[in-house]
Amino acid sequence: MTSLTMIARVADGLPLAASIQEDEQSGRDLQHYQSQAKQLCRKLNAQSPDRCTLEAGDMNFHYIIAQGVCYLFLCEASFPKKMAFAYLEDIHSEFYDQYGRRVPTVTRPYSFIEFDTYIQKTKKSYVDSRARRNLGSINTELQDVQRIMVANIEEVLQRGEALSALDTKASNLSSLSKKYRSDAKYLNTRSAYAKVAAVAVFFITLIIYLRFWWL
Amino acid sequence: MSTAGFNSQNGTGQGQAYANGPSQNPVALQQLPGVSYGMTHQPNYSPMQAKAPAPPGPGLYPSGPYQPVPPVSSYQPVPPVSSYQPVPPVSSYQPGPPLTSYPASPGQPLLTRPPMGGLPSHTPPQSASPSPGPRLPPAQATPPPPSVSSSSYYQNPQQPQPMAPSWQYNTAPPPMGPPASMSTPPRGPVANHVNPAVSSTAPPPPSSAVYTSAPPAHVSHSATQPPGPRMPPTSAHGYTQPGTVPPPMNPMAPHTYQPSRAPYGPPPTGPPPTMKATPPPTGPPMGNATPPPPKAVAGLPQPGPPGRHLGHYPSLPPGYQNTSTPHNTTSPMHPAMQAATQPYTQAPQPYQQPPGGPGPAQLSPSLAAMSLQSSTPEALRVVNLLQERNLLPPRPIPAPTPCLPQDLQKINCNPEVFRSTLTSIPQTQSLLNKAKMPLGLLLHPFKDLSQLPVVTSSTIVRCRSCRTYINPFVSFLDQRRWKCNLCYRVNDVPEEFMYNPVSRSYGEPHKRPEVQNATIEFIAPSEYMLRPPQPAVYLFVLDVSHNAVETGYLNVFCQSLLDNINALPGDSRTKVGFITFDSTIHFYNLQEGLSQPQMLIVSDIEDIFLPTPDSLLVNLNECKELVQDLLKSLPTLFEKTMETQSALGSALQAAFKLLSPTGGRMSVFQTQLPNLGVGALQSREDPNQRASAKDIQHLSPATDFYKKLALDCSGQQVAVDLFLLSSQYCDLASLGCISRYSAGSVYYYPSYHHQHNPAQVECFQKDLKRYITRKIGFEAVMRIRCTKGLSIHTFHGNFFVRSTDLLSLPNVNPDAGFAVQMSIEENLDDMQVVSFQAALLYTSSKGERRIRVHTLCLPVVNSLSDIFAGADVQAISGLLACMAVDRSVTASLSDARDAMTNAAIDSLTSYRQSVLTIQQPGLLAPACLRLFPLFILALLKQKSFRTGTSTRLDDRVFAMCQLKYQPLAYAMLMIHPSLYRIDDLTDEGALNISERTIPQPILLQLSVEKLSREAAFLMDAGTVMYLWIGRNCNPNFLSQVLGVPSYASVPDNLFMLPELDTAESQRTRAFIGWLRDQRPFFPSLRVIRDESQWKASFMQNMIEDRTESALSYYEFLLHLQQQISK
Repeated sequence: MTSLTMIARVADGLPLAASIQEDEQSGRDLQHYQSQAKQLCRKLNAQSPDRCTLEAGDMNFHYIIAQGVCYLFLCEASFPKKMAFAYLEDIHSEFYDQYGRRVPTVTRPYSFIEFDTYIQKTKKSYVDSRARRNLGSINTELQDVQRIMVANIEEVLQRGEALSALDTKASNLSSLSKKYRSDAKYLNTRSAYAKVAAVAVFFITLIIYLRFWWL
Repeated sequence: MSTAGFNSQNGTGQGQAYANGPSQNPVALQQLPGVSYGMTHQPNYSPMQAKAPAPPGPGLYPSGPYQPVPPVSSYQPVPPVSSYQPVPPVSSYQPGPPLTSYPASPGQPLLTRPPMGGLPSHTPPQSASPSPGPRLPPAQATPPPPSVSSSSYYQNPQQPQPMAPSWQYNTAPPPMGPPASMSTPPRGPVANHVNPAVSSTAPPPPSSAVYTSAPPAHVSHSATQPPGPRMPPTSAHGYTQPGTVPPPMNPMAPHTYQPSRAPYGPPPTGPPPTMKATPPPTGPPMGNATPPPPKAVAGLPQPGPPGRHLGHYPSLPPGYQNTSTPHNTTSPMHPAMQAATQPYTQAPQPYQQPPGGPGPAQLSPSLAAMSLQSSTPEALRVVNLLQERNLLPPRPIPAPTPCLPQDLQKINCNPEVFRSTLTSIPQTQSLLNKAKMPLGLLLHPFKDLSQLPVVTSSTIVRCRSCRTYINPFVSFLDQRRWKCNLCYRVNDVPEEFMYNPVSRSYGEPHKRPEVQNATIEFIAPSEYMLRPPQPAVYLFVLDVSHNAVETGYLNVFCQSLLDNINALPGDSRTKVGFITFDSTIHFYNLQEGLSQPQMLIVSDIEDIFLPTPDSLLVNLNECKELVQDLLKSLPTLFEKTMETQSALGSALQAAFKLLSPTGGRMSVFQTQLPNLGVGALQSREDPNQRASAKDIQHLSPATDFYKKLALDCSGQQVAVDLFLLSSQYCDLASLGCISRYSAGSVYYYPSYHHQHNPAQVECFQKDLKRYITRKIGFEAVMRIRCTKGLSIHTFHGNFFVRSTDLLSLPNVNPDAGFAVQMSIEENLDDMQVVSFQAALLYTSSKGERRIRVHTLCLPVVNSLSDIFAGADVQAISGLLACMAVDRSVTASLSDARDAMTNAAIDSLTSYRQSVLTIQQPGLLAPACLRLFPLFILALLKQKSFRTGTSTRLDDRVFAMCQLKYQPLAYAMLMIHPSLYRIDDLTDEGALNISERTIPQPILLQLSVEKLSREAAFLMDAGTVMYLWIGRNCNPNFLSQVLGVPSYASVPDNLFMLPELDTAESQRTRAFIGWLRDQRPFFPSLRVIRDESQWKASFMQNMIEDRTESALSYYEFLLHLQQQISK
């Protein structure tokens, strides 16, 4: 089964650990999902819902956020949701025990890549259908997964973009209006000058006329 | 996998690889663009010439429109810059000029500016006419003369003809103009500006001189001289007799650079103590300080001044000092310089000031002269190879130092890591073609370094357009902007970069470690990762057929791995796996929880599959016991096997399947020709033809199966290392592809046997230990960038070229070397220096993504003699060897041999015709190239390229692999072994390394003449060492070092020195141990006597001697001379 597990710091999206399992038969392009996962980690912030499922074609991203760390799991859409979240909870408790304190201090990406070993083992026990039965008890205890928000990955990834598009439009608008303002000012002065010039011409003609005709 | 990629890697080399067509056929040489070194770009010049054919002389410099204002004005007012840059007064060096000249659209200068002096202007005739330019000095001479009147050249009208007689380049008198300009651009205003500064500031940094250059220097002096007669500096050494009283030329200059340069160690002023000086009949014994044939002196109107060599030779004939004193009248002119030079010069003798010489401008000229001379004295000394015999320096040759300002040189990249064949880069391709030397780089990028600054930062500062990493050779325009030294784009300095973590200060971007170190390593942020860093994965693929069991290698392998299993680089994620194969493939299930390893046999070798994908590669930490169990039982498991066939191809496919999800390292051990399933090979060698065959066949692979598989591996970040232990022909030419394109390495142990060949066993053991424990980088890529105008066109080494300049290296190890060939696509007119940057991005065994960046900076020159002065003979030989390997695979061995010989002929011809004016008889070479013919001859006699002697095909192919793959230092030993006399080692001049005293015997020439029956000699040939014992060897040595009473009782199969508690033994072992420690592989030692079986291979390394099929060194020189004077 193809899957991808990723642990990242929510504050800046720094990846802390990851585990990839590619399946030869499915031949899916995990590269694409990986970059989506990275983007997602960067988009998430403290305001994001702390449990969510994102649909991406026939794959689902499940994530939970706890103690400033995001645990992301990519699996096939057919994989039971509650199992996925039980798995994420499991990973979270172990990861927090092992590395929780060091999370805020690290700067290097994938600082805790060694956690990969644990992830793989845990995943095996959840994915393996025989072992799954043994976990049945846990699953019942799990809180109601129905309430977990479901969204589309594209929407989430593009939410920021829409905002920034709005932002650029607004700034465009403001710069345009500024330009309009200055243009209008310029036009006003020009027309004022034109008026003055017209009057001046009139008077000069008048004076010349008076001088040559009347004197 | 695009074949285009291959072409760029291998194919293209064919045409361009060799600069030289047969010398007898110069027409072809000039007309075929591909024949010359690199690519010829002569067509490029023609437009320029069409535009401005007339004023050739001044064109070399950013003359006319460029000169005037900029450098000074733009440069001076910027204080921060100066603090970074080496030498503030020297405004002409460094960003100043480019600053102004560049932004003004780089293309434009080319058009507006008149073309290069003599060089381009004679290009058309050269390319058009059947005779090659360099051989026709007159032709080249004709166009430039007008250039001499270069009033436009200097802004200062008072120096109307300053550059006419450039002593430096005594190439035919007329073309004086162009050569004079060889040094860096004299910018009129700059020069004037600099002068006062120079005179006031005490000793001007010599470094600065190099760049301020400005030919006016010698120019002003020489203005009074008849053009041309100047003695070439090169030949100056000859005339030491005080009687000749030549007008010494700017004397101090040459010495300023000496301390930093030391090109070849102390010049051999006399024969090394123990060497027999064999004086040539015609001349005095040693050429250096002694006069050459008198007739030459007579023939010269003004024999060269000896002054410039004074500094070199400690003991001077008193006459010298005398001659110099009269000229001291002028010394006030150069007070500063004298101060600077005095430490080095014994006799400060300024140039005789011509009366009425231009006054104020003198200082800067002399500065320039200084720089000119400083770069040349030793390297360009003319050596008559036919007369001087003891050319070999007593110690290993150090790499030449590029002629850069000292502060740049100080931070430049270590030559062991990054080295160029020409330490002075020619300004144009036509100049390079004229020099007839290959231009290329030799790299050892992942070398184990004792000190490596590592930088962690969230943003790595890189140029926004060419992605160059910030390096010590960029220029800071101000605090917030830096200019890329490769593409000249101006970039912003990011906010974080303003803070210096080392000094904890703000606002000093130029003090950051990135800008202080030419070699640095970055911890990469996540943008540099396509996927999470892979774990260290090691898969061992072992041949267990009957033949393999016979050799007994399994025992050694398993034992070595058991011993070093904890030293395997990695972290808690490290994975290992094992596959064995004969006619079937055996997998080993090592999953946690099993009580013992489980062997799974797959007999379907046509369609290979993995029986249990999960548990074949297991976590080493968790399953260590199982792995150890397996290693203990493996040697006995197949003891009784009768299976003789070998399905290597299928085993490789299986291993590839196993590794492809993660990537990693696959180590393949093979003992025979694979003869079953995919990738089966046939024997292609006919042993009877070995010696007699005129041309060697079968150097190219028989099947592309291994290459294709290697490319698949490369795509999945899998590298394949091949260990070949075999006494039979194994077709390494085909098998080697698996490693070559996947960036693996090849080890070859011919006739390996655990009982019959203990030396090989020891060697294998030591190599394995190093192999298992050495550092490793996974999923690596390397990119080599160079300054705009240069381009890299051919790569040598083990890798796959993924895009034009990106090398894909699934694994990178510290013992891998690379070489590239370059061409000059655009003229480097307004540049003083060019830079090269190699960046290696890899994942360490601990799962960190890192980038190792090396930056090399080299000066640009525009005269042939400067190019020759900067030639690095070892690097040239190394690169030629790589090119010759390609040539022998794509064309034929004899082609490759011819090409190498022609390389020597052509470069020496070019030297003789373009650099030398006086045509002395004999075979003349500049001192820096004096070993070139020797190295070429050594290459011709090297295993890879020799003919006429029986060489096994696999041996030959392996030698070729090594030439391409080994870093230069090790490859040189394989080309030209070192010979030492070791029965009289003393502590004199010994090194002291970590409380061990290591004697340093001198290097001897590789000639039987040097051997003596009363002594013992050690020959270090890289992968093997021979200890030759003379028949009447000192019994003391025999008993104290070898522990035997007499010569007769030296055992035949001695491959280790006994550890005796005597001073002699300790010294010898310390010396051999020290030699071994210098290289990553283990050279086995063979003690040989006259009747030993190894005597033949020892004698084959006596390169200077004649063999049945090959010329002796002297004959080879005669041959060269004959060709040159044709």
